[in-house]
Amino acid sequence: MQSTIQSAKMFYILIAIVAVSSLYFVVPGVIIAEEAPRTFLTHTGLVIQTTGDVIDPIGYDGEALDFNPDKFMKEFDYGDVTVLDDGTILREYYITARDDQIMEVSPGVFYNVWTFNDSVPGPTIRATEGDLVRIHFTNEGSKPHSLHFHGIHKAEMDGVFESIGTGGKFTYEFYAEPVGLHLYHCHVHPVEEHINHGLYGAYIVDPKEPREPADEFVFVLNGFDTDFDGENNFYAANTIPFYYQHHPIEINTNQNIRAYVVNILEFDAVNNFHLHGTLFHHYPAGTDTVPSGYNDMLTMSQGDRQILEFNYKYPGLYMFHAHNTEFSEKGWVSSFIVKENTGNFDTQVEYDDII
Amino acid sequence: MMTSSKPVLAISAIAPIVLLVIMVAFLLGPASSFLQFGVVLPEVSIEKIEFIENEIQATVRNTGPIDVDVVLADVNDRIQPAAIEPDTSLKRFETALVRIPFDWNEGQPYEIGVTISDGTRFAKGIDAAFPALEPNVDLFVFLGMIGFLIGVVPIMIGLLWYPFIKKLGKNTFNFFLAFTMGLLVFLGIDAVIEATEISENHLSSIFNGELLIATVVILSFLALYGIGKQLTKKTEFSKLSQGLAISLMIAIGIGFHNLGEGLAVGAAIALGEVALSTFLIVGFATHNTTEGLAIAAPLTKSKAKIFKMIGLGLIAGVPAIFGCWVGGFSFSPLFTLIFLAIGAGAIFQVVLSIFQYMKEKSDILSNSSLFAGVSAGLIVMYLTSVII
Repeated sequence: MQSTIQSAKMFYILIAIVAVSSLYFVVPGVIIAEEAPRTFLTHTGLVIQTTGDVIDPIGYDGEALDFNPDKFMKEFDYGDVTVLDDGTILREYYITARDDQIMEVSPGVFYNVWTFNDSVPGPTIRATEGDLVRIHFTNEGSKPHSLHFHGIHKAEMDGVFESIGTGGKFTYEFYAEPVGLHLYHCHVHPVEEHINHGLYGAYIVDPKEPREPADEFVFVLNGFDTDFDGENNFYAANTIPFYYQHHPIEINTNQNIRAYVVNILEFDAVNNFHLHGTLFHHYPAGTDTVPSGYNDMLTMSQGDRQILEFNYKYPGLYMFHAHNTEFSEKGWVSSFIVKENTGNFDTQVEYDDII
Repeated sequence: MMTSSKPVLAISAIAPIVLLVIMVAFLLGPASSFLQFGVVLPEVSIEKIEFIENEIQATVRNTGPIDVDVVLADVNDRIQPAAIEPDTSLKRFETALVRIPFDWNEGQPYEIGVTISDGTRFAKGIDAAFPALEPNVDLFVFLGMIGFLIGVVPIMIGLLWYPFIKKLGKNTFNFFLAFTMGLLVFLGIDAVIEATEISENHLSSIFNGELLIATVVILSFLALYGIGKQLTKKTEFSKLSQGLAISLMIAIGIGFHNLGEGLAVGAAIALGEVALSTFLIVGFATHNTTEGLAIAAPLTKSKAKIFKMIGLGLIAGVPAIFGCWVGGFSFSPLFTLIFLAIGAGAIFQVVLSIFQYMKEKSDILSNSSLFAGVSAGLIVMYLTSVII
């Protein structure tokens, strides 16, 4: 009898312990002291009032790895220039591959990027038709990498069958041809993985007779599959989602703009480019001197490039983005802020290294 | 038998515990670097999604082994600006409320996702968006009414069988006791299945829902067994009849069951997961009428006063009202699961008590009435459950 009562007591104690300890999991959250809510304006224009934090992919400051889309879009690597005895211009470039860096690809999202010269995309290689291009490639990564250039060159300079191991070096050499907008990327298997991690860049071959003066921008359309499910989590023009939406690119009315658009997106078969408020002439791969169309939409498959030429008639804020709105709502949305041309026509042409 | 001194006994009891503590300290301390292998993966569970005016609210919990930072929210896999309260960093087991301003459409399915700092996305789908109920007096009354209709009323109706059962002969009475056993076995299994469903749909895997159900069912069974033994012991000295004691046990067991059921129904209303039709209420009510019968059956061999019976009915039925309130205002899957499991354990214990009672009362236990009764009970419960 005594023992039954005791064991019953034990059960009550046990039940009490279970009940109390379960409260720890059951009660959602902890009651915190009430603070005055603060008001935030989000990137879609909605207003949020909260006592907590705002999570919105704006305010990228590039702390983790110094990448500045504004700088990148106007930065061209013309190489170290030497004039050879036969008058050929030799351009020497230095590219180092790494695969150990962590980059804040979107505010708060840290991703292991594989880089050419510590940047995703790698430097925009620019030469003039007929120049001798010599690229000193070093692999400082832990995996084999290579440089595969699109364009006309010898098979052994194709960077496909000779992957460069850790610590290895290779010198790629070819003449810059044909005129156009090309790209380069690592071609080591599995290529999809090497591209998704960031091993690519734009390659421009200018015609001997320079193109019309214009303000020039490079837009590498890319994305990141950060959770490795075979679908991109983020899309962008030049790596950082939503960047140009919050940092609109400043241009003027009646100012000629030339955009070098390279699509290196993985996983999605098709990417596209839609310009608001005006139309562009476009040159597929930039190889022809006659535009193949006048449009505000471009559809591009993986590896496709297009040169776009346009200007704005009216001032204001204009978007350009993927008309595949899934991509634009995951970061591939940008804008131009068009200012009234004051008459002080200040078109910058960056052929500064040309001799 | 060897006699040992008390200190030796104490040491022999404590020594293994001390050694265990030392081993754990060693594993967590000096040996921790040696033991590190594999990759530790973060995990975030979205436990609740609510739709309020122009806003979607998701309650997220860090259910992984490491701390995480929630840095992005999305609706249907499209990035949306949002607020997170209290802040973006979530320690183990910590929850946060993600508030996404969003002009959602009623009745449309949505998938809500969050992305953490390593780029991993976690998501949960909702079949149909439904405006979250506002916690006001109307809702309080509404939920209370639902609980009353599915809990109290049917049990009271079921108790009205009392005069009928009382007039039955011994074999028929045994049949009805066995019938009650069948009803209860079915209720117990039903509760376990319902708890398992909640575990699968709402509870993160870190809680080991199935094992928790098993643990709580067994603990509840043992606890009720202890209480039951005491109650029946007391009947030897007091006026409390054994039949009443068993009815009380049944009422308590069903009470726990109805608390769990009420939590589930209240939550389903609040989360908009069921279109709560009159038909559903009718189904629940019909089903639960049999619970009244179960309480009435053991009472028939003793003089039961009407207020005692009403009291028993309230013990069994009123928890459904509380369940509806708690489930409707603040749904916790873990809470619901635990109460359903307690109910199941209690009910299985009651089945055992009835069986023992029948064995004591009948000199020769009629196998035919036992089997016929249990079978009939199970079949009736199945048929009434189909209506739900």
